[in-house]
Formats: sequence, C-alpha cells, structure tokens
Amino acid sequence: MTVSSVVVVGGGIAGVSTVAELRKNGYVGDLTLLSADVLPYDRPPLSKEYLAGSRDLDSIALQAPEWYAEQRISLIGGAVAVALRPDAGEVELADGRVLTADRIVLATGGRAVRPALGSPSHVLRDVADADRLRTQLVPGARLLIVGGGLIGAEVASTARGLEAEVVLVDPLSPPLAAAVGIEVATWLHALHADHGVETLTTTVETLLETPTGVGAQLKGEPDSREFDAVLLAVGLVPETALAEEAGLETSRGILVDAGQVTSHPAVLAVGDCARLRDHHRPEHWEAAQVDGGRAAATILGAEVAPATAPWWWSDRYGLHVEGVGEMRSPDAQHQTVVRGVVGEPPFAVFTLRGERVIGAVAVDDPNAVRAARRMIDRGVDVRASDLADPTQNLRSLLRR
Amino acid sequence: MTGNSGNGGNSTGIRVASVDDIPEGEGIAISSDITGTEDDIAILRDDDGTCWALNDTCTHETASLAEGWVEDGDVECPLHSSRFNLKTGKVDGLPATRDTVPHRVEVRDGEIYLFPGERP
Repeated sequence: MTVSSVVVVGGGIAGVSTVAELRKNGYVGDLTLLSADVLPYDRPPLSKEYLAGSRDLDSIALQAPEWYAEQRISLIGGAVAVALRPDAGEVELADGRVLTADRIVLATGGRAVRPALGSPSHVLRDVADADRLRTQLVPGARLLIVGGGLIGAEVASTARGLEAEVVLVDPLSPPLAAAVGIEVATWLHALHADHGVETLTTTVETLLETPTGVGAQLKGEPDSREFDAVLLAVGLVPETALAEEAGLETSRGILVDAGQVTSHPAVLAVGDCARLRDHHRPEHWEAAQVDGGRAAATILGAEVAPATAPWWWSDRYGLHVEGVGEMRSPDAQHQTVVRGVVGEPPFAVFTLRGERVIGAVAVDDPNAVRAARRMIDRGVDVRASDLADPTQNLRSLLRR
Repeated sequence: MTGNSGNGGNSTGIRVASVDDIPEGEGIAISSDITGTEDDIAILRDDDGTCWALNDTCTHETASLAEGWVEDGDVECPLHSSRFNLKTGKVDGLPATRDTVPHRVEVRDGEIYLFPGERP
C-alpha cells in the first residue's frame, strides 16, 4: 500500500529526523509533526552552552522555522497527544483534535528519572528545566548534582564556569567506566576535583526543603549539607504511556523491529522511547537520528540501513570526549590499546577483539573515533601496534 | 599551513598550498587574512585527490572543517559530525542546518589556487 499520510508524534531529534528523511528520500504525501514545543530544538546544548547562557533558543533550533513550510511539513507546536488508536490510524490531541494517518511514528522520547527523595529538585530534560536551573547558577550558589554520568558531568563543568560551588555524588567510582573503560573514566572523573568540584562516592538518602534551600542527607555522613539547588541526573525512562494504553508491546521502551515497526504494523517508534527487541536502548543523540532514517526507509519501502556502532560525544571543562562501540576491560578475548597517553589530550583508547576494533574513546581526537567507527562497521582487520603508533595514519588502515 | 598570496588577485587565484601539502582525505585552513573573506577557508582533499574549498567554520558550532573527516563527497565536522557537501556546501547531515559557502579551487602544476567568493 502506498503511504499517503504520516503523523510523527514528538519533536526531538528522532522525530525531526524522521520527517526530514522522508522528504529527502522522496515522500510526497501529507506529513505532520507534533511537537510539545513551539519549535523543535536540539537537546545537547541544554547542559552546556544553553545552560551557560552563551546560546539562546533560536540558535539551538533543529531546523529554521521556514524549513517546515518549505518541506510541506505541518508543524503543530504545543501539541500533546493523549490517545493513540492504531487500528483507526488516529492520534488524539489534548485539545480534542483527532489526526488520521496511514502511518504513525512515535518519537515521544523519555523523561528524567526522579527518585523519591523528598524535596523539590531539578532535572534536565527540556528547555524549561534548563531555564529553571539557570536562574540558580549564580556565583557562589551551592549546587548538588546527583549522578556523575554525561549530563551530571557536563552540568558540573557548566556550573563551575558560572562560578557556582558544586558537590557531585555518584555511587560508582568512577562513573562511566562501563562506557569509556576504567582508565579514562578515572581520569575524567578526577577532572572534577581539578576544577574545584567536590566528588563523593555515595548516595543521597533524603532531601529536605529548608528556609534557605535544600538540606541533603548523604549516606555515611553524620550531618546533612545545605544547598541552594539540587540536580538529579540519574538517567531517563522512555515515554511509553501512549503506546501502552494503545496496546502496543513495551518493555523498557516501545519494542520495535529493525525497521522501527512496533507490534502494530501501522505504528513505528524512534529515539529514546523505542527499543529494538533483544537489544540495549542506546539513549544517544545519533542513535535517535539514525532511527528516524530507518523509520523513513521503512515507510517508503526502501532498504533499511544496517545497524552501525553506537556513537556519542560529550564536552566538559573544555575537553571534547567521544566514544563508539563497546569498551571492555582486557581479558582473554579482548585487549585495550592506547594511542598517545591517557590524561594528555589528544589521546584515544581502542578495544579490540582479535584484530577487530569493537570500541574506542578519544579525548580531543575525534577523527580517531571516526576511524574506529568505520573499522567497526566495515569489519576491518587492524594490528594493535598500528593503532598504538601515533605516526600511523588511521585512515590508511581503513584502506587495507 | 597558512598559504600565501603569491599570485595576488582573483583573476588567477591565490596560491595557497601545494597538493602534496594535503594528504588525501584531509584538509588545511587558510586564514581570512589571506583570503579576504569573513571566515577562514578550508581546503579539503577528497579520497580521489580532488581539492575542494568551503568556509572553514561549521555552521552548527565553531569547529574547523579543515580538521574534519573527508569521505564520499562530504566533510564531516570533527565536533558533532555535521556533514557538508564538498562541492555545494549544502548540509548532508544534522546537527547543522545551515549550508556553508563553497569556493572555487584550481590545481595547476601541483599547486592549489583558491578563488575566494567564486562558486565551484
């Protein structure tokens, strides 16, 4: 059946990529994008430049306002979908409107995890969250960050740039070891102390609102500490309510196949809300973008691109960190190869299984990760000694 | 590498580098002081050895495209992997949404001549 109408629910990178890829690849039918915000925007700057105040909302728009009209995309801002009826191809909005389409793409994203700790606290998921947090990041303000992952670390860096006092707690020591390997994680985490952040390996037991801020009781400490603001940066949960109520299959995400199709053939799901059956949900910007392309291909009846190694980036304290694939600790099947010196950027660390790269992390050496991405995706054999040799051109290893 | 303006005006182009100065798949940035343009200009060499020129600064953020990854007719920004078409400057991949500016280059006797402001 030729698809002549598509509604995409959600204006994050996954939703915008879906509509962009549909038009780019020849889809000529009706196309509607439902966005909770007036104009879809990019989220990575929310913990960095936008939070710091060096970029404004206009500058982080995913597309210019006129682009939607040029692409004949009906952008409905401020849209809240309240019901999905897959058999009828219907999406109902909070204002009572009902949209009908041949295909519905769910790009509903995720929401920040909010542990029940007992006091008002910040999370960082959207512009409104960032705006609220920003008002409290003034010189001398005391900020507690719960969670030392990518978002927590980026906000710590931004807050220090704004001269706030930062305490960062995480139960893992060091955080991110699973993503970047123990050696890089240890060095990255130590950067917090170098920049005046107090880091504690513990958890928060309770948060209590006080007349002057928030009292935080940390596990293992006799007395509570006083903060002006608390940020919870402990992960996200996929937004699956609409799908669940519509009877779609969900399990830690809306379950999809390799073409992003859910358990109902007329409904697809992309981005943070979706999970490929039997796979981990990546939660990275590029993964959401790629999902959009795959959904578009499915709708157009085109070949869906094969899966690629997951890739991510982060910025903290003026350093650019990138990773791709998986970073395993050395064992009988895996070895770790360092290019350069860990802690002296630029450097890169690769993980190999035999002569195949399976992961890489680099600091201020993004093209090492670009090379690694291609080595992984193309299954190129390489020698560990070549990877470790800084005089060896990594691009040339791809040509063998 | 900053190049030089040995040949002066735009009628013959500005000699900015020798082809051998740029490995295939890589690039160099030519200062706006030399090109007379608002932005520096990235001279990029494709996998088949063809030279291209684009405004150097990624339209998404402030990374240098001369430090990017050149492949399949695009340059991929080293910061967030926005992709730009080498010939047209058009965005071929988010997060950049604004096209960049291409410039004409010629290779004569192994030397690269840049024509700032002229389309390829």
